[in-house]
Amino acid sequence: MPEAIEIQLKKGALELCVLALLSKHDSYAYEIAAQLADAIGMGEGTIYPLMRRLQADGLVETYLVESSAGPPRKYYRLSEAGKKNFTSQQAAWKSFSGAVESILGGAQ
Amino acid sequence: MTRQAFLARLREGLRGLPPQSVADIVADYEAHFTDGEAAGRSEAEVAAALGDPDRLAREIRAESTMTRWREERSPSSAAAAVFAVLGLGAIDILILLPILMGVAGAIIGLAVAVIVCFFAGAFVFAAGPFTDPPGGPITAVLSGIGIMAGSASGGALLTIVSIGLMNALVWYGRLHYRLLKPALEPQA
Repeated sequence: MPEAIEIQLKKGALELCVLALLSKHDSYAYEIAAQLADAIGMGEGTIYPLMRRLQADGLVETYLVESSAGPPRKYYRLSEAGKKNFTSQQAAWKSFSGAVESILGGAQ
Repeated sequence: MTRQAFLARLREGLRGLPPQSVADIVADYEAHFTDGEAAGRSEAEVAAALGDPDRLAREIRAESTMTRWREERSPSSAAAAVFAVLGLGAIDILILLPILMGVAGAIIGLAVAVIVCFFAGAFVFAAGPFTDPPGGPITAVLSGIGIMAGSASGGALLTIVSIGLMNALVWYGRLHYRLLKPALEPQA
C-alpha cells in the first residue's frame, strides 16, 4: 500500500519540518500550517496540538507580537534545546535518506 | 460552518479540561480563523480545513488525559484516560469494551484478594501466638510475616501488570486519532 507508506513518511517528517521552518525564522501557527499544508498535504488543525507538544517538550517558546489588525499574534521560536534537537534530527534524517536514496538508485 | 459555531462546538467539547487550557486552545483556533480571513478565505473554508470540531475536541481531550496518565500514575488519571479512549468511539474499541470490563473486574478482584490476604497475615502475626498454634508462637509470627510479604509482592506485581495494560490501552487509543497526529490521513 503505497498510500500507507506515504502517510507514515509524512507523519515522521512533520515535526522535523516544523523545526526546520522555525530554524529559518520565527513564525506563527497559521503561517507554518499554510506552508506545510501546501508542501506535504497536512491537515491544518494538526499544527496546534503539535506546537503544544513541542512547547511542553521545551523545544519551542512563544511570545506575543502586536498586530495591526486584531489581537496580538502568538509567535514561536526555537529554544536552545530545540536548536540542538533540530541539528541532531536533521543529521539523522540526512544520513538515513541518503542511505535509502543510494539503495533506491541502485535498484534501477 | 461559521466561526462562531465552530468555536462554540469546540468549547463545548472541551468541557472538563482546566479552564486555562480550554481558553488557550480556543484562542489558537480563533486566531486561525482571523489569519485565514486575512489570507482571503471564508469562515466556511477555514472550518472545513480544520475538520469536525466535535471530533477535534474529543481527540484533544483524549491526548490531554493520556498525558496526565503519563505524568501521574493514579487510579483517577487511569480512569480518565480509559473513558477518553472509549470516547474516541471507534467501533473496534467498543467491541473491546466487554473484554476491557472483564480485565478490569479481574484486576479489582485480585486487588481485593491481595488486601484481604495482607490483613489475614497481619491477624496471624498478631493473634496467632496467643492461640497455642501447632509449632509454637514463633511459627505463627513467622508465617504471619510470610503471608503479609507474599501479598505485598502480589500487590506490587498486580500494580506493574495494571500499569502495563493501561499503557497498552493508551497506545491503542492513540492509533485512533483522525484529526491530530495522523491528520495527514485522508479524512473518512
